Amino acid sequence: MTARYTGDAGMTIVPEHASAFRLALDCSMSLTRTTFASVWPQLEPVLTRVRKPARYVGGEDNIVVKDHASMDSAWLLVYPDAYEVGQPNQGVQILYEVLNERPRTVAERGFAPWPDMEAVMREQGIPFFSLENHLPMRAFDVVAFSLAAEVGYTNLLNCLDLGGVPLVAADRDRNDPLVVIGGHAAFNPEPLAPFVDVVCAGDGEEFVGELDAVIADARAQGWDRERLLWQVGQLEGAYLPSWYSPEYLPDGRLRGTFPRGKAPYRVSKRTVSNLDAWPYPKRQIVPLTETIHERYSVEIFRGCTRGCRFCQAGMITRPVRERSRDTIKEMVRDGLESTGFDEVGLLSLSSADHSDILGLCGDLADQYEGTATSLSLPSTRVDAFNVTLAEALVRNGRRTGLTFAPEAGTERMRKVINKMVSEADVLRTADAAFANGWRHIKLYFMIGLPTETDEDVLGIAELGLKVVRLGRQYGRKNKVTVSVGGFVPKPHTPFQWAAQDTPDEITRKLELLKRRVATERNLNLRYHKAEPGVVEGLLARGDRRVAEVVRRAFDLGARFEGWDEHFDYQIWTRAADDVGVDVAWFTRRERDEDEVFPWDHLDSGLEKDWLWKDWRDAIERGAELEDCRWTPCYDCGVCPGLDLQHQTGHLTVYGADTG
Amino acid sequence: MRIRVRYEKTGKVRFISAIDLGRVWERALRKADLPIAFSEGFSPHPKISFTDALPLGYASTGEYAELAFAAPVALDRCVQALNAAFPPGVWISRAVDVVDGAPKFNSWLTASCWDMSYTDVPGFLEAVDAVRAAETLPVLRQRKGPARTVDLRPAIHRISGDNGVVRVILHHVSPPVRPSELHLALENFHPGMPEPTLITRVAQGTPSPSGLIEALSGDFVTSGSCIDPAPDRSSPLIAPARRATVSTDRGASGRPSKGNQSDQHQQDSDRARGVAQSC
Repeated sequence: MTARYTGDAGMTIVPEHASAFRLALDCSMSLTRTTFASVWPQLEPVLTRVRKPARYVGGEDNIVVKDHASMDSAWLLVYPDAYEVGQPNQGVQILYEVLNERPRTVAERGFAPWPDMEAVMREQGIPFFSLENHLPMRAFDVVAFSLAAEVGYTNLLNCLDLGGVPLVAADRDRNDPLVVIGGHAAFNPEPLAPFVDVVCAGDGEEFVGELDAVIADARAQGWDRERLLWQVGQLEGAYLPSWYSPEYLPDGRLRGTFPRGKAPYRVSKRTVSNLDAWPYPKRQIVPLTETIHERYSVEIFRGCTRGCRFCQAGMITRPVRERSRDTIKEMVRDGLESTGFDEVGLLSLSSADHSDILGLCGDLADQYEGTATSLSLPSTRVDAFNVTLAEALVRNGRRTGLTFAPEAGTERMRKVINKMVSEADVLRTADAAFANGWRHIKLYFMIGLPTETDEDVLGIAELGLKVVRLGRQYGRKNKVTVSVGGFVPKPHTPFQWAAQDTPDEITRKLELLKRRVATERNLNLRYHKAEPGVVEGLLARGDRRVAEVVRRAFDLGARFEGWDEHFDYQIWTRAADDVGVDVAWFTRRERDEDEVFPWDHLDSGLEKDWLWKDWRDAIERGAELEDCRWTPCYDCGVCPGLDLQHQTGHLTVYGADTG
Repeated sequence: MRIRVRYEKTGKVRFISAIDLGRVWERALRKADLPIAFSEGFSPHPKISFTDALPLGYASTGEYAELAFAAPVALDRCVQALNAAFPPGVWISRAVDVVDGAPKFNSWLTASCWDMSYTDVPGFLEAVDAVRAAETLPVLRQRKGPARTVDLRPAIHRISGDNGVVRVILHHVSPPVRPSELHLALENFHPGMPEPTLITRVAQGTPSPSGLIEALSGDFVTSGSCIDPAPDRSSPLIAPARRATVSTDRGASGRPSKGNQSDQHQQDSDRARGVAQSC
């Protein structure tokens, strides 16, 4: 599965790389590097013309500023959204520290400029810049984008364009930076395939070090671009879209994405096996201006085997790897000391599932009792244990809001999505929370799920209203917020075969909900518009033909899809029309068993047969599947494929069942 | 225990808002592990009070704050710890203890001295002279609501120009007159004058016939000369304490040093200001 290029002569992708290598060495030009000046002198006078200039100045606590002249490689880590959204991102922070700990490597950060800033940059000829040294994008060897979601794609193109880097990978030469993407959206990179040089799906901690070594070699030895790409292609987990081409069936479906030359048939995701060996962030950057999360964050485990069928994160990050209580406590202590934050986030996909969570929370609560430091624990679990935990964390402090995610409104619907929680569970949990003095409960739901009926939709309102009535017994002002999102099928999940609801259908279902809860003043219904979900769905399950839509939408001015004030559905429908892509065919079509997906050659470790079986179990029988941390293995394929096992305190149960 | 500080907001942090700056202070206090007092109530806040907010993008060597601590702190340790915890550009240059019953801080902050830096504008001095000589200075003020004409002249205490820098001492009036409005007045006499490249609040205090008496030190800030030497940051952990203890001794101020026998006037003035111990 992980067979790599062997470098034989006669490859179609990198013809005669050996002679290209010699040529490069002969060329003395290749050893001199252009030096770039900081854009700060151009930037400073215009900063008062834009909103929130603090987004662009850097200068935060804990940043690393290095002199590029004495470095072997330079990385620009870009989160293609606004500073206040991107800066708190864990992935960027971790890789920033991992790379900067390498003595001859510099990593700086960049974020998408807000449209007012983009206008000023284009007017003044200011290129995309980093925040540490305010160097232009072209001063870097690698531009690495972190893609947590699909909505950053047009911003990615805009960043490259502002940076003066050719948008199409094939147009880049040795003087252009290597464009790399990672993050959850990298598990289907095909809608970005023409624009990126390298994709790495999975955990980046080890990969960036390996790639960095290749970059340093390339610079020292003056490799040309083909040679560099060839070497990068040897790295485990490196997917080079230019080494693959898609073929289509007459009916428009994909026949397959085929490697050219001797590129591997499938590229595996990267997985870090021991999180305790990577205790980052150690010195989290402290923003000078307000961001979406103002806290020191530590990931207490990675991966999730709850098996919610809609959840891409839970599927692609398997197996479960826990951090130990001691490592977490150490990270929290050092992290607070180095940042001055007053909140700690204990992050994961379902933090209450850490095998040692109660002990950990007890220890931390003891340590910070009576201080201004608060602890938060995002959790999607819906059971009384969640309240016990919340109580352990707050002690005598403030009890404001608790959040639960039943995800669906009826028992039947929850079985389909494998969210194993009964209505009694939800009500018991809410009752315990209100009884303990919590005043506000937030419930998260989705609509547009496979097999959903109006009864299931209204079930959300009924459940919300029942919780409101419960809350009223404990206090007249107790409130319930019901948040509803439209479901978007994602690659590498059992629901990857599903049809997505049309925006009209989502809007109609929202209306049903609104009418049902309109008279209840203590219930606050929150929802998003339906149209952005269509674009998200198109990009999530799109193939290389969708890349043309992304390019066209960018040319038409699409930016910041994740922001209501900037999202423009008309641009996207026009872009799709212009390039002849039928959006409905990509989003609304339920796929058959034999459908070849654009992401089939990216190996998340999950067996497609298992995903199909789980999909059929869901829609035909509403059959539930237990968490394999405490029940026998059901052979999703990840552990043997990666030669790994779960690393959790639940292992005794797991081991006993599987021998 | 309360202390009053004069601090700087220069460099990149001049682009952060007053709200952001408040957060920077709160984090620095936590990082420095100082026993800041908290307000009572459902959502306790650290007891720091800031004087009037600096407009976004302006630099300052004359910002002021009053802090209340729940336990006694050594002034020099407090300043050292905070300066080590601040991001670059925020810097306490002077701190004093406050005695009980001291007059409110704002009563010592009735005017600001501003420097407006211009790049090489011909006719610049004539424009400054014209502003100084004018009996009224009507400019159009555009803030919330409809634009209206206001006269800036009563707010101007002194104004001078030198070497591309306009130094102006503005009374704190309500609503405040901003240097950006003064620029409009200059532009009225010098059409097409480019905007200042940098506006810096030098210090705040009370107006005196020749300039301004800085609020914490009693130093004179005069129009036409800069009395505050650039702070020495070569040794950030020691510098503030040393600077603070010698800060009344800076030659350029023209004020006698603390050790001077003839300094009775200064000590009286310190008491009136609520300064128990200048550090």
